[in-house]
Amino acid sequence: MLDTLLPILFFSALALAAIGAVRRVRLWRQGRPSPVPLMRGLAAMPRRYLVDLHHVVARDKRMSNTHVATAGGFVLAALLAIVVHGFGLDSAVLAWALLAATTCMFVGSLFVAKRRRNPPPRLSKGPWMRLPKSLIAFSLGVFLVTLPTAGILPEDAGSWVLALVLTGVVAWGLGELFFGMTWGGPMKHAFAGALHLAFHRRPERFSDKQGGEGRSTGLKALRLEDPKAKLGVEKPADFTWNQLLGFDACVQCGRCEAMCPAFAAGQPLNPKKLIQDMVVGMAGGSDARYAGSPYPGKPVGEHAGEPHGPIVARQGTALVDAETLWSCTTCRACVEECPMMIEHVDAIVDMRRFLTLEHGNTPNKGAEVLDNLIATDNPGGFDPGSRMHWAADLNLPLMADKRDAEVLLWLGDGVFDMRNQRTLRALVSVLRAAQVDFAVLGNEERDSGDVARRLGDEATFQTLAKRNIATLGQYRFARIVTCDPHSFHVLKNEYGELGGNYEVFHHSTYLNDLLENGKLSLKAWKGGLVTYHDPCYLGRYNGEYEAPRSVLKALGIEVEEMARSGYRSRCCGGGGGAPITDIPGKQRIPDMRMNDVRETGAELVAVGCPQCTAMLEGVVAPRAEIKDIAELVADALVIDATAEQGTSQDEATGKARRTAEEMTP
Amino acid sequence: MAFEALFQPIKIGNQTIRNRVVSTAHAEVYATDGGMTTDRYVKYYEEKAKGGCGLCICGGSSVVSIDSPQAWWSSVNLSTDRIIPHFQNLADAVHKHGGKIMIQITHMGRRSRWDGFNWSTLLSPSGIREPVHRSTCKTIEEEEIWRIVGDFAQAARRAKEGGLDGVELSAVHQHLIDQFWSPRVNKRTDEWGGSFENRMRFGMEVLKAVRAEVGDDFVVGMRITGDEFHPDGLTHDDMKKIAAYYDATGMVDFFGVVGSGCDTHNTLANVIPNMSYPPEPFLHLAAGIKEVVSVPVIHAQNIKDPNQAQRILEGGYVDLVGMTRAHIADPHFIAKIKMGEVDQIKQCVGANYCIDRQYQGLDVLCIQNAATSREYMGVPHIIEKSEGPKRKVVVVGGGPGGMEAARVSAERGHDVTLFEAAEQLGGQITLAAKAPQRDQIAGITRWYQLELARLGVDQRLGTRADEATIVDLRPDIVILATGGQPFLSQVPEWGYAESRDESLVVSTWDILSGAVEPGKNVLIYDTICEFAGVSAADYLADKGAKVEIVTDDIKPGAAVGGTTFPTYYRSLYEKEVIMTSDLALHKVYREGDSLVAVLENEYTGAQEERVVDQVVVENGVRPDESLYYALKGQSRNKGQIDIEALYAIQPQPCLSESGEGYLLFRLGDCTAPRNTHAAIYDALRLCKDF
Repeated sequence: MLDTLLPILFFSALALAAIGAVRRVRLWRQGRPSPVPLMRGLAAMPRRYLVDLHHVVARDKRMSNTHVATAGGFVLAALLAIVVHGFGLDSAVLAWALLAATTCMFVGSLFVAKRRRNPPPRLSKGPWMRLPKSLIAFSLGVFLVTLPTAGILPEDAGSWVLALVLTGVVAWGLGELFFGMTWGGPMKHAFAGALHLAFHRRPERFSDKQGGEGRSTGLKALRLEDPKAKLGVEKPADFTWNQLLGFDACVQCGRCEAMCPAFAAGQPLNPKKLIQDMVVGMAGGSDARYAGSPYPGKPVGEHAGEPHGPIVARQGTALVDAETLWSCTTCRACVEECPMMIEHVDAIVDMRRFLTLEHGNTPNKGAEVLDNLIATDNPGGFDPGSRMHWAADLNLPLMADKRDAEVLLWLGDGVFDMRNQRTLRALVSVLRAAQVDFAVLGNEERDSGDVARRLGDEATFQTLAKRNIATLGQYRFARIVTCDPHSFHVLKNEYGELGGNYEVFHHSTYLNDLLENGKLSLKAWKGGLVTYHDPCYLGRYNGEYEAPRSVLKALGIEVEEMARSGYRSRCCGGGGGAPITDIPGKQRIPDMRMNDVRETGAELVAVGCPQCTAMLEGVVAPRAEIKDIAELVADALVIDATAEQGTSQDEATGKARRTAEEMTP
Repeated sequence: MAFEALFQPIKIGNQTIRNRVVSTAHAEVYATDGGMTTDRYVKYYEEKAKGGCGLCICGGSSVVSIDSPQAWWSSVNLSTDRIIPHFQNLADAVHKHGGKIMIQITHMGRRSRWDGFNWSTLLSPSGIREPVHRSTCKTIEEEEIWRIVGDFAQAARRAKEGGLDGVELSAVHQHLIDQFWSPRVNKRTDEWGGSFENRMRFGMEVLKAVRAEVGDDFVVGMRITGDEFHPDGLTHDDMKKIAAYYDATGMVDFFGVVGSGCDTHNTLANVIPNMSYPPEPFLHLAAGIKEVVSVPVIHAQNIKDPNQAQRILEGGYVDLVGMTRAHIADPHFIAKIKMGEVDQIKQCVGANYCIDRQYQGLDVLCIQNAATSREYMGVPHIIEKSEGPKRKVVVVGGGPGGMEAARVSAERGHDVTLFEAAEQLGGQITLAAKAPQRDQIAGITRWYQLELARLGVDQRLGTRADEATIVDLRPDIVILATGGQPFLSQVPEWGYAESRDESLVVSTWDILSGAVEPGKNVLIYDTICEFAGVSAADYLADKGAKVEIVTDDIKPGAAVGGTTFPTYYRSLYEKEVIMTSDLALHKVYREGDSLVAVLENEYTGAQEERVVDQVVVENGVRPDESLYYALKGQSRNKGQIDIEALYAIQPQPCLSESGEGYLLFRLGDCTAPRNTHAAIYDALRLCKDF
């Protein structure tokens, strides 16, 4: 009887799955075109899965093993079962293999079930709670129906009742695993995920066979030439088809949610929910069936959308509220954590672009900052001619005079901020001590465009970028060095698409090179315990975790790491224009970060970003002191008495006031 | 950006000044070795440059000729090439920190003293005596004019060769150039006097000679008055005409403008406005000059606060603000703004201790910052945290000495407890601030309050510490700064008694603190002649009392400095306070409801009486020594300060010795009555090595 029932079951499940797949593909194809090499993508998919995806999943060893057992067991079991039970191939070897595969899957399923007994809050509940049972049903059912095939039990073992029960169990398993995979069940992640890996919008983010680490973090330029093209994403269907596919790959594991600083601060953002809302939007419907943590302060069930309806309502509610989108600091913690390689930040910026460019609806200080950038080339609205005021006494060489220098020192808009001026003065004194041939653009420098771009104002970004590229094009320099990771990222990763290709160094990397080449001599560190805060745009965006630590080591500092550091560093709250759009939450992100610092017992937190410095220094005392890497190096400089004068940064830092005293002959 | 207007660089001549804050020319009284800018001088200006000051114009009244005496005020002597290497040291020290430095050069004409050193014959356009210095002079001859014109040019050359960034010609404070300008003292009928052009001629010849000598690549500025405030002197309109006249030559790179003339005691007080003046009282005069000139205008005079400076610059009244006393009080003024530590700026309170010392030929010192101008000795502005053992320091007394001791000890990283019997910090500063026009002196306390709170000092206010309390805290170091009490018991005939009902006299403290109701008809006997007596007189008169202030000294307030007694006198005369000198208080007795004060003439012995309802006696402070002697026996060092170490700014040797018991030191008036600066200086130099 099973011989009859099982093929029917398998093939009808497969047929239904195929129908579902077609329907699902049609949902994705609502999106805008996005040219990706389909065949090459499919060919690369296994490697992307086994190497890149697994690299992320393997951060949780237990879950990784569970998934290998369950998914590996399932894929093998499914293929063998189709052959053995679908086509009825009577092979004991295959049957034994199928038994092994289902056993493996069964063991994995037990671990899945165990995790679901007391799941962490980041995991979605709902249908996901039945998944382990379905997995067990499939593996157990197929195992049992395979026993006779393997010759362990006689062909007619058990009664027809048992056969019917077994058929039911197998049907349940097939329902979840074949039918559910393409019809929106939890297993959808496997189907959409595999295709997402194959057709990913950023193929360059994956590692290559030669061992090159893949990285692709720069935002993609918006084509502004077509006057009729909609700017940014208004409706789910305005995403590219492979972005929609990416959303569909979400496995609702909530790793993003657990890492999101805005979520932790109680701001109305949860990256997982956002992706699920996009899934709801592409199919049409409400978020009522979402079974994970909501956006803080926003109950589930009040939002709904459709593929061709607006995501953000001008009035009232639609799929997502604008403040959800403006809560993001673009820190990439979600992207970094996502085992399905979903690009949350791209999606958020796409939607922001529409709000800013088409609606002119950038909240709070957003509009003012953008106006300032347009009028004055800097976000603070300062007189563009005052860019070099901070350095009036430093006689910095100007590119306009020199034309040619080894290093172009990119200053960033920190020139207008008294705190960052101290960092810049420290950096200048270090470069001078190392006798680096450098020059600055001075008043020719403009804001890099970072904030405009993250606030969705792609037009202002491109204007600023093109003007900067034109300016840079007039001069000869080997490399750009900057102490601002945001400028660093934009110059390095986002100007290329607009024709500006440079070798760009964050100052920590450059200082590390100087130290390694013996260009600087430093006094031993005498201070207390130090921790280091990784800036998002240096770490996660550009993978530079080592150089700052190496500089600190050269200073004689043993870094007391925070629980969240490196790729898991918690954002300071300062990125993505978040301090400008300033969406209220229950607590402030920098306060949470300072608590991380406090837990280490450090007296000083070393940073490498003007924005991080500003955010962390905004935390009320008592708290650790905040110093940029450049300041720490400058403080420790052993200056040769014959070295060039006029480099003093004594009006700069408190410590440097003392250092200057020591320097007095 | 906060304080944006302050941090806009500006070009003066060929020099870019990094911000808009200037330490303007003042007489420092630090130039030694015949007027050379030696170590102390260099370090004093280096500290300002290190602290971020944009431009320092040093050497107020630095002389260009040997017949303009420099030694009285140890001013800088530019009459010799010997100065050039000293200038190089000075210029290097300031330039190293990104600052710029220029010097004021002058011939003071009649405004000096002739009775010493070279016994110079002083010069002025018409030989008219100068009242403030009581100096007589000759009428200058043409040959002397041309010699001095040449001296100016040579002096400017020396400044340039020494690497300074410019010179400021002093045509203010009644120096020789403005003596020629002012019809008040220039009565000549030759080509050097009379008409506008003639009166301008000497200054013009100086300017031309200086410019010819130094060329275009060197800053030459002029400091001028905005109005002499004398009916027969230069008015504001005159000064606008003069400024425009010199500006039109294109040879002047900047103008510094000072409100008021200063050849009388009363106008002199305007020049360095003390705490009785409003903020920037003469800004309008500088703004008037700015209207008519094409180059930057600098103005100093009671600009002390960064917000005030920002407001003035934003308003466009002048191009640069002089914050000279502000930098004497805190040479790290700019650095603290940039560090976001505005609350940590030690703000000048206008006590004018600095300038009042200078007028006596004493080195300029700050009443509240004992490190200023002592940088060369190693007295620190920034107290480094100790690397030695953490100590328990108990300070008793929250006056200036105690507050400084607590601050410095806490900066060293020690565990500090401060006892103050009163409900608030300040000690005698609190009393001093009660007098009319003297409230700003409380700024000294305000800064300490902020600093002690920032440093986490355990402040036990309203708590009188006794021996047991102190010993219970198991201190390593005990500092007594308990001050003293008014010394009314010195002369039994005054009839002082502990009980207020029985005492025939009260103290100035009783009056200023409000402990005793002001009388209606009051005699103040002030044998000290410093601030307390005149303050009490002003206070009582302000409350409506009829007041006579009597002293056996040469005049009431005789020991109050030259820029401060005039503002007291203005107030006292206006309120019809009678000021009587040369009478000592012989005796006080009661007669019915009244008191009779018997006064005895110092020089004839003749007695006279006053019938009043209140007698206030100011006889200084008697140290409060009781706690000291209670603690002395158990202390390791028997309460002794090693004065050789103290004077050499070295650590007390007992700090590195171990043993049982605490170290005991006492500071300020509980040792012997001195002044605020003395108490703070002792506290700083003693505690900086704890």
